[in-house]
Amino acid sequence: MKITELFAKKTFVLTSEVGPVKGCVRETEASPSSEFLDEANLVKSCVHAVNVTDNQSAVMRLGSLAGSVKLKERGIEPIYQITCRDRNRIALQSELLTACSLGIDNVLILTGDHTTLGDHVSAKPVFDLDSVQLLKIANGMNNGHDMMGNQLTPPPQFAMGAVVNPNSNPLELQLIKMEKKIKAGAEFFQTQAVYDPKVFSQFIKATEGFGVPIQLGVVLIKSSKMAKFMNEKVSGITVPDSWVKRLEGVPTAKAKDVCVEMTSELLRELAPMCQGVHFMPLGWSDVVPRIIDSSIK
Amino acid sequence: MIGTARKPMEEILEALDGYERITVMGCNGCAKACKTGGEAEVDDMVKALDRAGKSVVWQVTPERTCYIQHTKGSLQGHEQEISSTDAFLVLGCGGAAQVARQAFDEMGVIMPVKIGLNSVGHLDTVIAGKLAIEQCQECGDCVLNETGGICPITKCAKSLLNGPCGGAQDGKCEVDPARDCAWALIYDRLKALGELDKLKIYREPKDYGKSNKPRTLVIG
Repeated sequence: MKITELFAKKTFVLTSEVGPVKGCVRETEASPSSEFLDEANLVKSCVHAVNVTDNQSAVMRLGSLAGSVKLKERGIEPIYQITCRDRNRIALQSELLTACSLGIDNVLILTGDHTTLGDHVSAKPVFDLDSVQLLKIANGMNNGHDMMGNQLTPPPQFAMGAVVNPNSNPLELQLIKMEKKIKAGAEFFQTQAVYDPKVFSQFIKATEGFGVPIQLGVVLIKSSKMAKFMNEKVSGITVPDSWVKRLEGVPTAKAKDVCVEMTSELLRELAPMCQGVHFMPLGWSDVVPRIIDSSIK
Repeated sequence: MIGTARKPMEEILEALDGYERITVMGCNGCAKACKTGGEAEVDDMVKALDRAGKSVVWQVTPERTCYIQHTKGSLQGHEQEISSTDAFLVLGCGGAAQVARQAFDEMGVIMPVKIGLNSVGHLDTVIAGKLAIEQCQECGDCVLNETGGICPITKCAKSLLNGPCGGAQDGKCEVDPARDCAWALIYDRLKALGELDKLKIYREPKDYGKSNKPRTLVIG
């Protein structure tokens, strides 16, 4: 199922995200499931689709295509993420054909975190293409030809998503790139995590005429330590001081309740401004249904 | 210029293991500017080799060791020193060391040529005598006319052509927060020039065929 069909029907689209494991997903009698699939199962009944990240943070893991196929086999609609970091233009186009052949309908195209941020810091970063170029090429592939104009028989048929960071300063520069992505063929957007209602409403106002559905991105904040870490170390995200304070001294057992409260408050305010929400639970997929129940349904 | 940094002495001595009589060849071009292979640094290396028990036969610093005519010219008339030398140690870039090897080949001399420096990039001196930075990767297809004179291929860690990635924060790069995001610089520059429209133009994938190695340039 293409996620764009839901946007077309004015469905408020909910997605979540799972990161493939550092290892394999291969069910045996001794271990019939895996952490990866268990995570996805926790959100299966409350979201429309689940993103599968592509070696996120440049940490080497199971590939996002294998992860996406595993979800599809279990009736969970995957949004296959593909980055420009590790593959050149031949490999990227080939991978898209492979993805379509394996039943993938939704692809989210990103630049990718730099190799130096991950666990293989001496790797050669590829970045043969950027995200705008790959979107345009994928769009061309949907229309029956590779980037060199050679015919594809039959061509893939992807719904194509992209990302945008509303926290970016200057915002104008981010918006220029967003418009380029739309022209290149992006049909929906998932944002970087936003916690400041003012930032999000300004962003929504600035993108009013763009004509593409936007899902608000939310990273679940698990502790004050994590919030501080994100503020100091994770580029492009700012967790408000009020959130840090509310989590200060909260025991781990209670932190999920506070996370549900804070995130739900945020979503009640911001969800009406956009066309969906994308959760990045980072291992707390069990919290996602609780947030949805108390804020969106 | 080609930026160079000296290899650790232990590595140099390991490369010279088995060779006792050494000639040190510097370079009065880029390596002089980097303070790694000019006459002063050649003097220092001669002393260091001496301390390590090597016998230094001769020292020579051509004008630009990567120019075959300079290097060959500096060797002419020194056949005696050359014949007394077990190995040459070049304090120049990788190109200088290879041109020195070529010079010996053309002279019909089989001479081990070792290198005492690491080449660290095509660098520009931005603070005289203090700091050089990489600003050009010789991609063979210059985009500076479209990007306000700031190269995204080199100065953006991901060589992005259509704007910044999502990792930039407050105008700084996700790879090194001490470094400016190239696209933030390009944006500021184009805005100041009244040319922001240039940012809206879709830039095609780079033709990396133009930088396939090794490249040649027919000069004349």
